[in-house]
Amino acid sequence: MGAASSIELRSVSKEYHRDAFTIPVLVDLDLSVAEGEFLALMGPSGSGKTTLLNLIAGLDRATHGEVIVHDQDLGLLSEAQITRWRADNVGFIFQTYNLIPVLTAAENVELPLLLTSLSRKRRRQNVATALRIVGLEGREHHYPRQLSGGQEQRVAIARAIVTDPYLLVADEPTGDLDRTTAGEILDLLQLLNREFEKTIVMVTHDPLAALRASRTLHLDKGRLVNDVIQEARVPAAS
Amino acid sequence: MIPLKYNLRNLRVRWKTTAMTMLGTGLVVWSACLLFGLVDGLEHSLKISGEPLDLIVMRPGSTNETTGGFESSKADQLLTLPGIARDEAGHPMAAEEILNIPIAVRGDGSRTNVIVRGVQPASRRLRPDFRIIEGRDLEPGKGECIVSPATSRRFRGAQIGGRLDFGDREAYRVVGVFTAGGSSAESEIWADFQDVVRNTGRSGSVSCVQLRAADRAAYDKLREAIEGEARFKLAAIPEPVYFQNQSRSGVFLKGAGTLIAVLLTIGAMFAAANTMFAAVSTRTREIGTMRALGFSRRDILICFLGESLILCALGGAAGVLAAIPLNAWTYETSDFNSFASVMVAFWLGPTALSVAIGMTLAMGLFGGMMPALRAVRLEVIAALRER
Repeated sequence: MGAASSIELRSVSKEYHRDAFTIPVLVDLDLSVAEGEFLALMGPSGSGKTTLLNLIAGLDRATHGEVIVHDQDLGLLSEAQITRWRADNVGFIFQTYNLIPVLTAAENVELPLLLTSLSRKRRRQNVATALRIVGLEGREHHYPRQLSGGQEQRVAIARAIVTDPYLLVADEPTGDLDRTTAGEILDLLQLLNREFEKTIVMVTHDPLAALRASRTLHLDKGRLVNDVIQEARVPAAS
Repeated sequence: MIPLKYNLRNLRVRWKTTAMTMLGTGLVVWSACLLFGLVDGLEHSLKISGEPLDLIVMRPGSTNETTGGFESSKADQLLTLPGIARDEAGHPMAAEEILNIPIAVRGDGSRTNVIVRGVQPASRRLRPDFRIIEGRDLEPGKGECIVSPATSRRFRGAQIGGRLDFGDREAYRVVGVFTAGGSSAESEIWADFQDVVRNTGRSGSVSCVQLRAADRAAYDKLREAIEGEARFKLAAIPEPVYFQNQSRSGVFLKGAGTLIAVLLTIGAMFAAANTMFAAVSTRTREIGTMRALGFSRRDILICFLGESLILCALGGAAGVLAAIPLNAWTYETSDFNSFASVMVAFWLGPTALSVAIGMTLAMGLFGGMMPALRAVRLEVIAALRER
């Protein structure tokens, strides 16, 4: 890989407790993701890929081991600190877009900026830029219900990048989309990775989607079973 | 902070639930306004009846003018005491008054006690803003009387030109309608002092003497003289104190009102809580999303508490607005001392408004607290999984 390490997981385990049972989800995992890498996480249901994504995004905490993202050991942060850290460093893209239905596209994109000290004018400039990048100029005042699934996901991507975060995490970003629209969304993610040098971690079940990433990790029963670096990944359509 | 439009638009989207909750809280606030508007009206009428330099002279131990009679010879001497204020014409601002409580017939044929006050010329000056608004003032010795607008509306024969008959010996012809700044005098029928004495056969006694001191020093000396000098040995009660003591029905109304308001508020809190629990439940994934984006637990708490407050404030405002037209309404109650009919004008005053605001805040805060805490306690990952 050669580049500086962006995400480091050292002997990470994650367990859940149900009644008297301990359920291991991730087992003694070591992982290193380079800065600007586009990583796809694959594996069967229950393999721990979403849990791994949540740990990297600061949504969940490891039971054992260290999760270090951009030189920050997430285990050392309090809940309030990790919430603030997420706002500053992570952009989220969800399978079902998770837009706020009562807010317009522009207002949805502006949401993370309300946690910054930017002026209203500056926020609007940033929102316009983000919407332009995802190709949604002219849709600022549309509510989510007035947009197609692909457009909703573009709004969600604009919301994820509007604060110019260090890391983008995407949980099945094309899971609810048809093949053509999914292709467009993956083009966009590739663009963000290549042109804007965003580090992206994406969970997917779709092997074709994974081919767009620069590296694919396969998990099974909480363990890393395969690590493939795509030398000649599928190029973006554009 | 989560933008306010998020809450406002959610309330608009769920407009049926919002309207039902508003209706509930609005009715509760309206009921409280109604109850405490009556208290406000009663207290207002008694408060403005009490002039700081006025004294009401009665028999010692009496708590009410209707039971406070004493000899008219003493009353005559009281009017000559130094220190009594004088009007522009140089007449002392002091009046002997006599009260009778006959039974009057209401417009619907029912009967109630009513205060007939025999007054002297100075009596008018001793009431706040006394004015004849229709007809003319009564002339002494002619068996005439004047009434307030509320009394005129309420009692049979109490209209100008009508005749108020109180048994075989007591009757008065109504010649005018007066107002007295909304004071308690507006619950009474005023006749000439001598006419009332003659009609009731109570010569040689008065119910009370009303007088106004020229200034604070004179006020103290007058009280000393009236209460201390052997020739009087009477009670000189400051008018504000007297009317404060008369407001026992207000205390009862206030107590009952407070109890009812608390119970209604608790009921409405459950309605608000129910609405907000439903809001949290249907927006769980939105809460998870906002938490993932970096909004803190405090942001979520403020957001949902704020929405609950807005919801209840809308209902509260509707309740207060609906109560405003009641300001023109006059109601009849009984004086607990004399059992005479007392007219009180409903007044959406400071007590009613404070209670309305207090109830709205209580409903919004306490009704919204549990749902907001539930929203705060949601685990981000679990919330994001909600469909």
